[in-house]
Amino acid sequence: MKIFKLPDLGEGLQEAELVAWRVEAGQMVALDEPLLEVETAKAVVEIPSPQAGRIEKLFAEKGDIVHVGAPLVGFDSGAEGVADTGSVVGAVETGARVMREAPVAHGRGHGHGVGMKAAPAVRALAHKLNVDLAMVTPTGPDDVITATDVQRVARILSETEPAEPLRGFRRAMAQSMALAQAEVAAATIMDDADINEWSKGADTTIRLIRALVAGCRAEPGLNAWFESGSLSRHVLKKIDLGVAVDQPDGLFVPVLRNVGERAGADLRAGLDRMRADVAARKIPPEELRGATITLSNFGMIAGRYAAPVVVPPTVAILGAGRIREEVVAFDGAPVVHRVLPLSLTFDHRVVSGGEAGRFLAAVMADLAKPA
Amino acid sequence: MAEVTLVEAVNLALAHEMQRDADVLLLGEDIGVNGGVFRATNGLLGRFGRERVIDTPLAEAGIAGVAIGMAAMGLKPVAEIQFSGFIYPAIDHIINHASRLRNRTRGRLTCPMVLRSPCGAGIHAPEHHSESPEAMFAHMPGLRVVIPSTPARAYGLLLASIRDPDPVMFFEPTRLYRLFREEVADDGEALPLDSCFVSREGRDATVVTWGATHYDVLAAAEQLGEEGIDIEVVDVATLKPLDFDTILASVEKTGRCVIAHEAPRTAGFGAEIAAQICERGLYFLQAPIKRVTGYDVVVPLSRLEKQYMPSVERIADGVKQVMEAQ
Amino acid sequence: MGLDFHIDHLQLLSPAGEASESAGPIAEDAQLLRRLYRAMNRTRVFDAKAVALQRTGKLGTFASALGQEAIGVGVAAAMAPHDLLAPSYRDHGAQFLRGVSITEILLYWGGDARGSDFKAARADFPICVPVGTQVAHAVGAAYAFKLRKEPRVVATFVGDGGSNNGGFYEALNMAGVWRAPLVVVINNNGWAISTPRTIGTAAESLAQKAIAAGVLGRQVDGNDVLAVHVAAREAIEKARDGGGPTVIEAISYRLGDHTTADDATRYRDPEDLKAAWAREPISRLRAYLAAKGFWDREQETALLKQCGEEVEAEVARYLSTPAPKSDAMFEHLYATLPPAMRLQLEEARRFAPGEGDGHG
Repeated sequence: MKIFKLPDLGEGLQEAELVAWRVEAGQMVALDEPLLEVETAKAVVEIPSPQAGRIEKLFAEKGDIVHVGAPLVGFDSGAEGVADTGSVVGAVETGARVMREAPVAHGRGHGHGVGMKAAPAVRALAHKLNVDLAMVTPTGPDDVITATDVQRVARILSETEPAEPLRGFRRAMAQSMALAQAEVAAATIMDDADINEWSKGADTTIRLIRALVAGCRAEPGLNAWFESGSLSRHVLKKIDLGVAVDQPDGLFVPVLRNVGERAGADLRAGLDRMRADVAARKIPPEELRGATITLSNFGMIAGRYAAPVVVPPTVAILGAGRIREEVVAFDGAPVVHRVLPLSLTFDHRVVSGGEAGRFLAAVMADLAKPA
Repeated sequence: MAEVTLVEAVNLALAHEMQRDADVLLLGEDIGVNGGVFRATNGLLGRFGRERVIDTPLAEAGIAGVAIGMAAMGLKPVAEIQFSGFIYPAIDHIINHASRLRNRTRGRLTCPMVLRSPCGAGIHAPEHHSESPEAMFAHMPGLRVVIPSTPARAYGLLLASIRDPDPVMFFEPTRLYRLFREEVADDGEALPLDSCFVSREGRDATVVTWGATHYDVLAAAEQLGEEGIDIEVVDVATLKPLDFDTILASVEKTGRCVIAHEAPRTAGFGAEIAAQICERGLYFLQAPIKRVTGYDVVVPLSRLEKQYMPSVERIADGVKQVMEAQ
Repeated sequence: MGLDFHIDHLQLLSPAGEASESAGPIAEDAQLLRRLYRAMNRTRVFDAKAVALQRTGKLGTFASALGQEAIGVGVAAAMAPHDLLAPSYRDHGAQFLRGVSITEILLYWGGDARGSDFKAARADFPICVPVGTQVAHAVGAAYAFKLRKEPRVVATFVGDGGSNNGGFYEALNMAGVWRAPLVVVINNNGWAISTPRTIGTAAESLAQKAIAAGVLGRQVDGNDVLAVHVAAREAIEKARDGGGPTVIEAISYRLGDHTTADDATRYRDPEDLKAAWAREPISRLRAYLAAKGFWDREQETALLKQCGEEVEAEVARYLSTPAPKSDAMFEHLYATLPPAMRLQLEEARRFAPGEGDGHG
């Protein structure tokens, strides 16, 4: 039962005479409904109900002198519930939040010896001498790097060419390749395309682009972006091709937009303009972003097969090696044909071997056509 | 499975163990009819009766003393000291008897008792109700000191404490009593004593904490995460005996350590952890250890208590300090 | 040798407000009685206001003394200004008569330690929360007075629950050994939070605990301010004359909850509470005063108005007192702050919130 006591009457008054009840035991009342009337020295005052609920008991009778703080009415606590502060001092905050975490681990953790061990003073010395602790072979007990070790490496470094911090595109390449390596589950299949039927003066790069488009038509899943955090992929209709361009100061991969819908001449013009812009350092940053699949025609320099690096969020890169003459079997007899070596590296988190294989087959089939 | 608050988890654990083991009994002030001033023992008098749920006279030293006598005779008393600020009269019994009964009698007599007490500030209470005395007890050989930080850990660690054959000081952070809920299965599964919990994995810095501060450390982790700092949170849970290996493994991984506790700084339990890290993990450190603690002042009255306690802001600031140091 | 003991019980004014024949001169002392009546009303008006402040978030947890006004007022009115009070945490009735201001009591429960820095009553002990510990402090202070041959007496209050605490027995025992000039008043209001007096001890009276300490113990009706005052006066005079300590068990009833955070309906029968109201101290004195012609309706109205206004003024002072700054945590820690603590002082300043407003 929740007891309602006579509240403060104001003006220092401490008691009043109960003049009339307006309710009776067993009755349901609403919030603010008048419960009783009391008469103070000044006036007759109506006392309203502090809550809605059923009245279980009345604690005074007409004519009684009731005191501020004394029990007047008992409410049935069933419906409303007793307002329990659940404390005897202060206020213990009741929060609504539900915690969902489970401990990652508990107890008896063991280290895996990942870190480099060096006393703080030695670390400070290394910092002062500009020595990266990762380059220092420890000679102290228990593989601890000593001050002598740091000084030794500092001397060696001072006698060699100074360290050259990577900047610009080299720096970007170092960072993005490291990330790619850490994340991607790379797999590669390789084959040779038989291009013997090609007419003279064929534009190899444009043929490769066209063949790549054919591959995308056969297996659209290789023209996609993968979101590893949410384990979802965007299979993209538009093919924006990243074309690897080699420069003295680093690798650039400008993006040729919408290669699936453009004619060969247009592609060639676009490609030439891109190359010129890169060489002249005029290529705007947005032209280096947003590739959906990449082509690396390293064969223009040297090399047959490779396992080029897939850079997220793309899921595939086609590498083309140097065209060569090769003895192949044709209709049961050895002949010399011109072949173009192909390497398709794909992110096996997103692309299956079958998909990659069918992609490559479509590329090879297109390249085998005379024109 | 139900979503329960920390104080409800304590209630579940007590009920479970009293049901399971007839030797378990409860004693303390206002724990029976009133269900405990924080309702930790709500409903237990009705279920288990006056002989196993005892409303004692107002006598803290007496409560600790009789609990020792009960325990020595093979009962499993779980005594409540209503606030850890009132535990001081009981210290004579706790230190001179509970902690060393087994040792003095060469194992002939033992003291399988649990002494539960709400601790810590932050509930806007009058004087003396906001203490954090855990370091004093951790200092004493022969005592276990356990402080849960979540409902699940309160449930599992209290079960473990009651089942443990030696005395356990079980300090419950008052501020966390109802602050949030967690799913806890009332399955009687104890959690391991003498073990730290890694509440959150991270790369950049280790924050070692316990009790109510654990909640604020997790809040600081969210905030820091948005700023690109990823902290690992280790909940000590059992201060004594300390599972130092887990702390060491974390410091080895991150190279930076912040210790956060509400108790005053000097000779707080953080000092012990810092000393052990220096002894065994000095070479992993990339920055000095930082302690974020209550100041060395009397816990102030409620108007100033928020400025006394290590806030989310101060904790985050401490992490940033160790991140910036060379 | 037969050990026999008797605890005498004093009541001079019945619950209905009738004086007993042996009431003596106090029953005719209109001026004194009006003073006591005013003081009890002032306590009650303040008490109700403090509860209301807590309910509206303007005060922290507060321990109401509703129904026990006669105990604090009756005892403190018998004290000399140079005597000393060692209160528990429910004795603002006594503290007000000692010169502690309403604002100071509000600051204390409002969470501001300046409330214990009494502007008057400079020697009195502050409110004591760890139950029963104030008795030992009172014994020590009494001993100091005796040693210095000062004619000063200490009065201390403790509850029925507190009288069951080990510290109480120890302190009382020492008071007996030293014949300390001390009066220990047990406010037996029937409840120690939810623990009723009957399961707090098997002793038939709480006053008889004095006998174990070799000290005189007596019971009074704690709702009868005449009896409380007479018993207190006798005990204080005896102590001042070198007669040693007395324990006065004043029997009353805790008409309010243990604190504003407690809900006594969880463990108390409302019928008990209702019956207790019929025995409360203020209405019985009013009935007596009115019957004797010492008090009338106009005076009643004027008193309540005056008390109400005074409390409002003090509340306004309290609410407009600016909150303490972080430096306050470091002040009065030692006589001077050790240099090693300066860093912490500055760190606390760095994290201090912006300029706050008052306690309201």
